[in-house]
Amino acid sequence: MSSKQGINSELQDLTHLEEVEASILFRIDGDVVDSSFKEEYSHKLLRTIQWCKANVDKVSLEMKSNNLKKVTYELSEFCVIFYVVNNITILTTISSRNANLSLLSIESKRKALLIANYL
Amino acid sequence: MQIVAGTTSHRSIHTATKRIINDVIGDINGTPDFIIAAYTPNYREKKNYEEAITKLCEESGTDNIIGGTFPAIATSNDTPTTQGCSAIAFQSSELEIQPPVSYSNIRINPERGAEKLVKLFKNNQKLNTTGFFLTPGPNFPPDSFNDMKMLDTIFAHKFRGMFNQVGKLINRNMGKKGYGVTSFAYKILKKLLENGVHNTLGGATVDLDMRSCFQFQGNDIFQNAMVGTTFASDSLNFGHSWTFDKSNRSKTFEITNGLKSSGYIHTINDKPSKEEFLNVINISSELYEEEFKGTAYASLLYLSTLKSKNQENLPFVSLCHPILNGVIATIPEEILDESDKIAEFCTQSGIGVQKSAYQCAKSAVQGIDNPAFGLFINCSNRLLIAGDKTEEENKMITEALGADVPFMTVYSGGEFSIINHKPVYAAVSVHGLVGGYNKSPQKNVVF
Repeated sequence: MSSKQGINSELQDLTHLEEVEASILFRIDGDVVDSSFKEEYSHKLLRTIQWCKANVDKVSLEMKSNNLKKVTYELSEFCVIFYVVNNITILTTISSRNANLSLLSIESKRKALLIANYL
Repeated sequence: MQIVAGTTSHRSIHTATKRIINDVIGDINGTPDFIIAAYTPNYREKKNYEEAITKLCEESGTDNIIGGTFPAIATSNDTPTTQGCSAIAFQSSELEIQPPVSYSNIRINPERGAEKLVKLFKNNQKLNTTGFFLTPGPNFPPDSFNDMKMLDTIFAHKFRGMFNQVGKLINRNMGKKGYGVTSFAYKILKKLLENGVHNTLGGATVDLDMRSCFQFQGNDIFQNAMVGTTFASDSLNFGHSWTFDKSNRSKTFEITNGLKSSGYIHTINDKPSKEEFLNVINISSELYEEEFKGTAYASLLYLSTLKSKNQENLPFVSLCHPILNGVIATIPEEILDESDKIAEFCTQSGIGVQKSAYQCAKSAVQGIDNPAFGLFINCSNRLLIAGDKTEEENKMITEALGADVPFMTVYSGGEFSIINHKPVYAAVSVHGLVGGYNKSPQKNVVF
């Protein structure tokens, strides 16, 4: 499996979880490396993705300067988990507001580690 | 002796199974004698698990497989997953593992199920023996609480003695539908003890979303069954232990009145139980509902323990459902009978959870010089507390057992042990079984 296919497969695994709406691998400058979405998605979700894209550089700077591995944002409609993959990429998992964040963070961490192996 | 453990994750159960066959079965030279397979519940359909387990049986060449579904699973050599499969496979001439048994409807008739395990224990002629079994876990789908409303009536409060019998019938009826807590497992432990079993480990399958959880034995997939086997050896010793995070103890409260048979508490500190429970933990009912509705209203962050006369402090979980006035407590009738009914709150912490996992593994490995494998049943509540630091807990277990010792951890809905002839039925705890060699082998002493 090529690294592109491998990364995409890991992102698809995440979006296959019932509570996850989208998973996106961002470069810290906001460029999207790869992404996966649920088949049906709403405008609200797209707005949240835009918010992620607009803020990922600030979030990653904050994470880098404070040596944070994970940051969680609980927005009005969705929860967003940013997980550091390596120095230049961040895994973003967008889930429904009622998602079990403890369980989800276990899988986000696992996927971040697996994706890091492909990069 | 070959013991191989592994964990894989994938959105498709078929791919996860293929990978586990490759990683675990492929590493065993020949056919494994026995496999424990654990899957996460996200694959939902029984059919999916049937196909996966059939494939596992075909490819491994053995039907000696037991397992179940758990919210998260982990092994010594991989990070935990909430979307995949973990397995541990055994092949050894020194370790005798009996062909596993199963008993469906274990919630209704736990003693009959335990008899099957007793038979396995009696078949063993080896020096050291222990058991391993899995049961269905707590299951409270939204409608199930309606069945318990009768326990709030004035009659139930006034005539508790009589209502204990009604409570039993309600429990039985719920059990038939596959609902309820896991207190039936205490009856399994008692039955095993009566028959001379001195060590065993058990755990409950669970889905934190309160959908179906499954148990596996051979090619069969069950929803409300006990599956289990025994381990026996002349050369290997087995160590058992259990513990929980008891570092932060706070308030105490008295379980004043309730229906013992159904674990339903009417009054706490002589006041209506639900109001008083929320008062003791100092949380509004709205916030409680918001926080715990996803876990069948179980107060997962507020752990209570009950000091039992014959056992140590035993942790239990309390459930406050909006349509009920009472509190459902996961305390078996027998434990409530023998305790002084003073419960204590213990606040769990991430560090405490990690430390207690280490303590459990360290104490289980005491008396074993060269550990060969470990099996750990860890509460899914502890999983929620640890979150993505769950991995650290397994690192602590590795530290206690040694770097190359394969072990498997399943995150369960109930943890049960018999340790040196004492039953331990607990929630929010970690229970462990470690098998291994001693430098000076034990000898049969003939008088």
